[in-house]
Amino acid sequence: MLNPLTIKQLQRFRSIKRGYYSAVILAVALVLSLGAELLVNSRAVVVHYQGDLIFPTYGDVIPGRTFGLDYDYETNYRELKRLFAERDEGDWVLMPPVPYDALENDLNPGTYPPDPPSFASSHYLGTDSTGRDVLARLVYGFRLAFGFASILLACNYFIGITLGCAMGFWGGAFDLLFQRLIEILNNVPVLYVIMIVASIVVQSFWTLLAVMVFFGWTQMTWYMRTSTYKEKSREYVLAARAMGASSPRMVSSHILPNTISVIVTFIPFSIAGAITMLTALDYLGFGLPPPTPSWGELLQQGTNHLESPWIVTSVVVAMVLVLLMVTYVGEAIREAFDPKKFTYYE
Amino acid sequence: MTRRATPWRRDSGSRGNTPEATSCRGRTSVIVCAMLACCAVFVSSCGTETVPTEDPTAVEAPRGVQLPPLEVREGDGLPASLPADLVWETNEEDPIFASPEAVRGGIFRTWMLAFPLTLRRVGPDSNGAFAGFLRYNQLGPVTYHPNTRRPIPSLATHWAYGADGRSIYYRINPRARWSDGVPVTADDFVFAVQFMRSKEIVAPWYNNYYTDRIRDVKRYDDHTIGVQGADPKPLNEMHYSYGIGPQPKHFHVLDQDWVKRTNWEIEPNTGPYQISEVRKGKYIDLSRKADWWGDEVKYYRYRFNPDKVRVRVIRDANIAFQHFRKGELDTLSLVLPHFWHEKATGGPFDAGYIVKYWFYNDLPVPSAGMFLNSADPILSDRQVRLGLAHAMNFDRVIDTVLRGDYQRLPTFQLGFGDYDNREIEPREFDIEKAGEHFDAAGFDKRGGDGIRERDGQRLSLRVTYGNPQHTERLVVLKEEAKKAGVSLELQLLDSSASFKQMQEKKHQVAWMTWNSQGLSPRYWEHFHSENANRPQTNNLANHADPAMDELIMAYRASADFDERVALAHRLEQMVHAAGVVIPTFQVPYTRDGAWRWVKLPEWLGTRTSGTLFNSQANSAGIFSAGGLFWLDPEEKRRTLEAKDEGHPFEPATVVNTTYQTH
Repeated sequence: MLNPLTIKQLQRFRSIKRGYYSAVILAVALVLSLGAELLVNSRAVVVHYQGDLIFPTYGDVIPGRTFGLDYDYETNYRELKRLFAERDEGDWVLMPPVPYDALENDLNPGTYPPDPPSFASSHYLGTDSTGRDVLARLVYGFRLAFGFASILLACNYFIGITLGCAMGFWGGAFDLLFQRLIEILNNVPVLYVIMIVASIVVQSFWTLLAVMVFFGWTQMTWYMRTSTYKEKSREYVLAARAMGASSPRMVSSHILPNTISVIVTFIPFSIAGAITMLTALDYLGFGLPPPTPSWGELLQQGTNHLESPWIVTSVVVAMVLVLLMVTYVGEAIREAFDPKKFTYYE
Repeated sequence: MTRRATPWRRDSGSRGNTPEATSCRGRTSVIVCAMLACCAVFVSSCGTETVPTEDPTAVEAPRGVQLPPLEVREGDGLPASLPADLVWETNEEDPIFASPEAVRGGIFRTWMLAFPLTLRRVGPDSNGAFAGFLRYNQLGPVTYHPNTRRPIPSLATHWAYGADGRSIYYRINPRARWSDGVPVTADDFVFAVQFMRSKEIVAPWYNNYYTDRIRDVKRYDDHTIGVQGADPKPLNEMHYSYGIGPQPKHFHVLDQDWVKRTNWEIEPNTGPYQISEVRKGKYIDLSRKADWWGDEVKYYRYRFNPDKVRVRVIRDANIAFQHFRKGELDTLSLVLPHFWHEKATGGPFDAGYIVKYWFYNDLPVPSAGMFLNSADPILSDRQVRLGLAHAMNFDRVIDTVLRGDYQRLPTFQLGFGDYDNREIEPREFDIEKAGEHFDAAGFDKRGGDGIRERDGQRLSLRVTYGNPQHTERLVVLKEEAKKAGVSLELQLLDSSASFKQMQEKKHQVAWMTWNSQGLSPRYWEHFHSENANRPQTNNLANHADPAMDELIMAYRASADFDERVALAHRLEQMVHAAGVVIPTFQVPYTRDGAWRWVKLPEWLGTRTSGTLFNSQANSAGIFSAGGLFWLDPEEKRRTLEAKDEGHPFEPATVVNTTYQTH
């Protein structure tokens, strides 16, 4: 199924322990974050009420009246749990390990947020300046940042690879035209553009993504263009051409697989770059609109509230760990795919 | 931005954010033309009577458009010669409120959040938060005593009221000079009206005010003018409504290009400071005029003491705080609870290098509110507006995020004594009541996300605001509002951009604060239908109600105090009933921090001081309360030495409740 070279490369990757374990940890964290609603949420995982089992996590809001409470808005499950325990009628509520979501304000008259970490209140990393759980915001912020980075990566690479290959393969006027276009785009200060856009319209996930894709796809084209130029003149491409392969076929079946190591090597660094960029924008207030949970916003709050060190500590530690692991993975991949180790032309 | 105001202190720079905005309010900005200012100082210090150049083309010239002679309507008009029976008044008997111990000198370092978009005082983009700096240096004929609230001389030495109840006469101080040394004369006042009426300045609000409210202005001699307003007013409010300020006639050439050309020009002024240096995007320096004519005026003595005021752009309040803590800013507003209680502790605070002041004042309360755009398809329904008011849990915000330091604001305008309608109770957070109103509006079903819907349209509203410090309040409101089935989308924009959006009426809900000013509340600009659905007016709610228009006009026209009070009460009631504004918070005090070397009089401030360390601003737009502090070089040396050696003083927090009202 996999060609021997790829298998060797993967084995080599596995043997680089630091990168390999980083990849495993990141993968686990990602998978867990996809199911974050079951782990970090103000909605209960399971409610046992009058003999029925109810699973509120996904789906519509369940108003308090459903459970015999006197309100129409979303049930407060922590309260419900306390109530059921008091009544002791056999009903019960199973809350997630962190019973808060990223948006709700856990405010109690008399105490002023931010509140320090406390096991008693299940705020394991404390709360932020409006009483929102820091851990919950970290987790959802992580998912958002990774999601953003992945979509950005997919879009950038799709456009970048397609155009880069085309430029390298066709060359000539097409190549020249796009080179100039890319040079122009490269000279636009992206951060400023995003700030200008942000001051005019409310940024949403998708507008931010669109702006970043608009300016971000160019990087990949240079690498792909060079690789394609190089591969194009190799004998196997000539052979394919001699056998009558069409241009798309030559690019997709012959050239692309041989440039894959270039692409793969860049992925982790692109992800790290995208996360950093999003965090920076959120920190500056030009990213996603409040109250979206994001690391940048948390970092900003942390620096505003240095007297409540748990906020800034949590987010800085989380960021350093994630970026470090992504970088380790990147290094390991680069080493594993190093053509000096495995090549047909030794 | 509140343009409620007299033509001259039109003021106050501000929209603001309740008092906490004071630190960044009213800062001006400008382009540098240091040379111009230097020349001005030079000329004036030589005592030369600067006469505009002999070359006629330089002054009267056919440059620019020819301004038409003032148009006077049928039934209006001042007498051709000065009435003989005028009783000239002045006020030299009220006590001074500045300290004779004040010493001149030093550089006062303060800050602003954003660099201004223009240095003009009128025209597009001129109503920014720092416009105050420019305006406070353009004096009016008369200002008000900050403790007695009575008129006191400024550009004018004497004033007299006409028999028709709507005219006022001024004798201009012959010493008064523009910053370029040119004497201020009656012609500058006549020109001011022509100028404000001209289309070239692209300022519809002023065009209207100077046409509709100011009916005539007349020059009787070089230093005597008369102004006639539209309606009779109580005597003590006349200066506020009709006491127009001059415009430098020798400076302005009006033409199609005026707005663009003057965008970064430094206009001659009459106040104590003039811009001396502008670094775009970085800072603006204002320098004290060495030989200012106003130093001879009783109530200006011992005031405006720093030689220079440097207004730096610091784009974040927390960074400004760090600058302050390091001693790079001399003072900082500490009104915000988390600044006062948490940030302003330890280090230089505990060591007594920085003194904390908590000063209760008694002045018009800034109108902080959520302005609901009634031109919006959802908010045009009164039931939705009322429901929204009941869905806002302000008490929870006050009790938690605001540490109980703020109070709920019950009415749109407050703090005007008898004019206040104290019978109105603010709408309380009540999900049931909110629900009834929303049901009545047709939003009677909740969608899967718990948000109400009407024919598939979600009850989701965009809240536009410009102060990142307010996000904390809004996220709490947002979460609480969900319980009532309303979704608030928070739109945080740069402060200039957010105000622009509001002025263009593109908002749904505008979260902002109008600085209140004057002696009585104002309704025309905020609620009259003439200002509805037009850009660049202050009717942010786009409220248009013929019944209310009628009362507003009656209120404006009345000179009878009791009648005006009764009308104001009814108007406030109507505002409440229409639900177009949800008043938010009020703060009946100011809190500031200042390094030890910034000295205040022993009484700290005046009854109407909006902030203690304002280099010159009027408070509430009319009370001449600014510029009382001074910088003590000896104390500065001592403090810095002590700081270097790590030698602490007694920590100091000064609380003053002299003017606490409730």
